[in-house]
Amino acid sequence: MHEVEESPLDAYLRADRIPHIWCSGCGLGIVTGAFIRAIQKSKIDPKLVSVVAGIGCTGRIPGYLNFDTFHTTHGRAIPFAIGLKIAKPELHVFVISGDGDLFAIGGNHIFHAARRNVNITVICVNNFNYGMTGGQVGPTTPEDARTTTTPYGNIEPAFNLPYVMASSGAVYVARWTTLQPRKILDSILEALQKDGFSFIEVISPCPTAYGRRNAQKDAMETMKFYQYKTKVKHGADPKEGDISLTGEILTGKFVDIQKTTYMDRVKMLVEKANKKGA
Amino acid sequence: MATTYIIKDDEKTKKWKTPHGELYIIKDRCKGCSFCIEFCPKKVLVESKEFNAKGYHPPELQEDETKKCINCGFCAMICPEFAIFSEADAQSKDIAQIPEKEYPIPESPKIPEIKKARDVLTGEHFWNGDVAAAEGAIAAGCKFFGGYPITPSTEVAEHIAERMPQVGGVYVQMEDEIASIAAVLGAAWGGAKSMTATSGPGFSLMQENIGLAVITETPCLIINVQRGGPSTGLPTLVAQADVMQARWGTHGDHEIIALAPNSPQECFDLTIECFNLAYKYRTPVLLMMDECVGHMTERVVVPERSKIHLVDRKKPKGEPGKVKIYEADEDLVPPMPYAGEGYNIHMTGLTHDERGYPSTIPETQERMIKRICDKIRIHADEIIRYEEFMLEDAEIVVVAYGITSRVVKRAVVMAREKGIKAGMFRLITLWPFPEKKVRELAKKVKNFLVVEINYGQMVLEVERCACPSKVHFLGKMGGSVHTPEEVLQKITEVTK
Repeated sequence: MHEVEESPLDAYLRADRIPHIWCSGCGLGIVTGAFIRAIQKSKIDPKLVSVVAGIGCTGRIPGYLNFDTFHTTHGRAIPFAIGLKIAKPELHVFVISGDGDLFAIGGNHIFHAARRNVNITVICVNNFNYGMTGGQVGPTTPEDARTTTTPYGNIEPAFNLPYVMASSGAVYVARWTTLQPRKILDSILEALQKDGFSFIEVISPCPTAYGRRNAQKDAMETMKFYQYKTKVKHGADPKEGDISLTGEILTGKFVDIQKTTYMDRVKMLVEKANKKGA
Repeated sequence: MATTYIIKDDEKTKKWKTPHGELYIIKDRCKGCSFCIEFCPKKVLVESKEFNAKGYHPPELQEDETKKCINCGFCAMICPEFAIFSEADAQSKDIAQIPEKEYPIPESPKIPEIKKARDVLTGEHFWNGDVAAAEGAIAAGCKFFGGYPITPSTEVAEHIAERMPQVGGVYVQMEDEIASIAAVLGAAWGGAKSMTATSGPGFSLMQENIGLAVITETPCLIINVQRGGPSTGLPTLVAQADVMQARWGTHGDHEIIALAPNSPQECFDLTIECFNLAYKYRTPVLLMMDECVGHMTERVVVPERSKIHLVDRKKPKGEPGKVKIYEADEDLVPPMPYAGEGYNIHMTGLTHDERGYPSTIPETQERMIKRICDKIRIHADEIIRYEEFMLEDAEIVVVAYGITSRVVKRAVVMAREKGIKAGMFRLITLWPFPEKKVRELAKKVKNFLVVEINYGQMVLEVERCACPSKVHFLGKMGGSVHTPEEVLQKITEVTK
């Protein structure tokens, strides 16, 4: 084993900011690594990669990535990304943010972005709670889970993210856990090959704020839980993707379809408005 | 990249060869999660006894030499700290590898360029204020409008929706006002002059992201066609009650630029001016119209294109990669890079240093806040515009802005006819407040009268600056405009 100073990923990291702020065992570093590897493999011009995030632990990912990165307000990464993409369509615009940011405070935006089939790729890291603020209940917290604001167990049903995204019109929907980093990488590459609204959910451990309150004493236990409870099934009905506190986690590619994208429509509109006699 | 996990048929022996990997570690990055140890398919790693700088036990190779790394790269992929990776060892390097797959990445369609764009409609028009503002924006080169319909600003959106495609721009009707302003900021970083238009309730929803525009120094235009409030208030009727919200609506210390037109012509002219100020000072700019000015239809003269002065961003001078994106010039305004130019921008709403990196150091906050405020404060004289009417010998100064200034002008003339030496000081720039000018006036006149359609907002600023003169106030809660007679009566009353 050789001791070195730099990782091959450092070229795409703001290495002067490493170590990152995330806890030991947090899955965000794994997602960050998978993202960088996907960009490397895709051979797209890194200059044209823009990453937008909202607020939260996941919202800090762009700050470590050495691309054009935008850390916006809570919940507003998607509309910011839409403006960015429209203003400069040659950019590959990614939104990487958390489940609370994208589906609670930012819920309205993500559904409409999928409906419009805006040409962006969204990676949602789902850790089932608001980690940065200390572990409060969120829109994806499973029923009966304990969080700091559900001390008696969560009474609310959780969002099934692949299902809501598929029904909102996303052309690509997949879900993986952080124990499947190769799948995350492949999925990002697949999403990049679709010029429309693509969505990847990554289930990730939050040992400090969520796991330890829900019978997983550390991140390793959460990862082992994924190891034993994850089922891979491509083309599954996203309706079956509900996640319970102790049940199976259905992963795989749920949706992969082609539809006219928003930028296609914008182009057609501009052409229509400038036809003679328009 | 450590993913050469390839097994290749050896041509001579017809046996499969397993590649072997050498492991590399950056010990001090390890946070001891043990994922690499637990999930290595060959179990080649164990926890070491040594401590790294953070107090964790980084992994080490285990002693059993039959367990060898196969260079699958999983440890690198599962490591959340970018701390470990493998590379093919010397003997495995000549094992042929499965060629890397090609990934055809599609490009999004571009918006066609319009060769003869009808962006400046030179000539005379009969437009209402909302339409004139929309035309001003297009003449200023605005290419992105994100909006949500709200009375009495809808005509801005409707007109833009028709005109934007004609000039190769985009109108997007977002799902709400928060999305609208967020999209406007995104578009600005993508290099498009961008704007939105709204009214009271929508303006309230936008406040947080106006703050984001302030701290990230994002040039953009927000038009607020003011109506009566609070809350839903008087959707179809006039008020000027958002002027303090314009100043202090978003949280935290900041300066803002806000202008108030009093005619459709000014709606056109000042919209262009707003974009110029936004790009000159890298800041969001507010055009504080009111319902009457927005819905009033008058003659608007659009000059020739060559007569329209436009300000563009200051481009970064240094090479991409070497420029600190928030390092300001002497004017305290940093040049602005756009996404896709190779500057590796990091834009954040967190307090940040000159590199754009977040910081929790009080000195950084001190430096950042002072600079983003001072870049407006030191240029106040250049930014501020006002109109003086019959002020030379005035004994009472009536302060007004927007639609109210037109009534006041009439009242001042009527007062003069009655022998009262009245004059008007019209604020065109509401923020920064022209305090220097008001202080000067206060040395000459004893009485100020502030007329506005609210229960006392800009009057507070006048009171702050007009000492030792007396400051009087004539308000209206909204829904209608003062009559010249009402203003005249007040002028007469306070000059007795």
